[in-house]
Amino acid sequence: MAKDSTGQPSAAPDWRWVGERGLRVPTGAATLARFDALLACEFAEIEDIIPADGSLLLILRRGAALSPGLCAALQAPLPGAAARGDTLHEIAVAYGGAAGPDLPALARQARLAVDDYIDSHAAAIYTVAFLGFQPGFPYLRGLPSALHARRRASPRVRVPAGSVAVGGVYAGIYPAPGPGGWQLIGHTDSVLFDAARDAPALLRPGDHVRFVPR
Amino acid sequence: MIEVLQAGLCDLVMDRGRPGQGALGVPAGGAADPEALAAANLLVGNDAGAAGLEIVQRGPILRFPRGAVVALTGASFAARRSSGAPVAWNETLLLAAGETLHLDHARHGCRCWLAVRGGVAVALVLGSRSTFLPGAFGGYAGRALRTGDHLVLDVAAREVRLRRGRPPLRDATAPLRVVAGPQAGQFDDAGLAAFFGGAYRVEAASDRRGVRLGGPAASHVRGELPSQGVLPGAIQVPPDGQPIILGWDGPVTGGYPAIATVIGADWPRLAQLRPGDVVRFATIGVEGARELALEEWDIRELG
Repeated sequence: MAKDSTGQPSAAPDWRWVGERGLRVPTGAATLARFDALLACEFAEIEDIIPADGSLLLILRRGAALSPGLCAALQAPLPGAAARGDTLHEIAVAYGGAAGPDLPALARQARLAVDDYIDSHAAAIYTVAFLGFQPGFPYLRGLPSALHARRRASPRVRVPAGSVAVGGVYAGIYPAPGPGGWQLIGHTDSVLFDAARDAPALLRPGDHVRFVPR
Repeated sequence: MIEVLQAGLCDLVMDRGRPGQGALGVPAGGAADPEALAAANLLVGNDAGAAGLEIVQRGPILRFPRGAVVALTGASFAARRSSGAPVAWNETLLLAAGETLHLDHARHGCRCWLAVRGGVAVALVLGSRSTFLPGAFGGYAGRALRTGDHLVLDVAAREVRLRRGRPPLRDATAPLRVVAGPQAGQFDDAGLAAFFGGAYRVEAASDRRGVRLGGPAASHVRGELPSQGVLPGAIQVPPDGQPIILGWDGPVTGGYPAIATVIGADWPRLAQLRPGDVVRFATIGVEGARELALEEWDIRELG
């Protein structure tokens, strides 16, 4: 493959090396379909694949190079619609109060009464785009556009586990306590991640989610 | 068994980590210099993937009631044994029943690894015995060792042979080698010049999630990107222009532009950075980085 002076691949101009082991490939709306297709191929040089917002990061094993077969697979047309997306999780949420300190300000910003903001947030059906930031942290697509909100200018030092949050165009849920910059609107008792469970992450990419006020 | 008579600053049970769980949001983690831990394991007759201890800056006092075969690799610490015998790095050490090993402070660098014949027997979590502190799982109860903890060892499979190891040659004063990008294009000329020409100090807030740097601001055009997959060594730059080198327990996705990524061959040097150290960066191509990635420890039997 031809290289420019930075060592970045030029044959596929939108691929980017992240060090010599990471290759970021834009995948747009087909991110999960491409992820599934690559997993099915079981390429020996791949150590991990991380789906994100419209791209995949391939992590190659130490010292491994991109094989011609993998290059071809990354550019091959995808088969029809992926088989994901038939699971709907209902997540019970206590909106507002001490666990949702940003709810009043977000409702004002959206020019909604707090109850209407909650109704709007709970009426949407969300799709898990990918998990990141923390183990099991879902980036949920489907937040009504009136509810989009910038992250906090200064992140909180400690966000409690189970916090239901809004960050940019995404809804999310913090699985574990820790620092966080998203706006907090409520709390759920659902356990999003438990390393000891057979399926550690409650939500998987492609799953659907509905929030149920309680 | 190992008794922790006095815990160090942050003693963590580690093995090679748990790669392959990125889609769950779980980073690979594991020893900050996996080849150094693997070498320590080989020096005591373990499989390279056995669990040992990662010890940072100030170490623990450990007692071995039934004796042990151990090896230390990585940063050299001021250290002593209750027997008075020397504590050599990079070779097999035989500890008598009841002997204590006192690892005090790091003389140079930041982290060392202790392997014990048999390996530390903690439960596998997501395929690994490594501690993941941000999620409080893996290792010993998901946390750093505390005074009074008892570590159980697995039964060793092989006979003891005395060995000595030599790490790949590294120049601790050379610039860290990086592959530019993936978002170098989002930085303005002043930001690129500041980053690639500047010297950065390692900040005290650094840990296994990331090495925080202070120095000339690497200014960029856009503050946030769509979240994208990242890996250890990626150098993210938040809006204040102060770079963060993502570490072994860092997030698997990030939304700040990455100006460059430290190559795998220099990850062992990242493991040895401590607050106050000064780092510079120099670019290298992907092919060159890959050739350097396979430098190995040289391990030989003594006598």
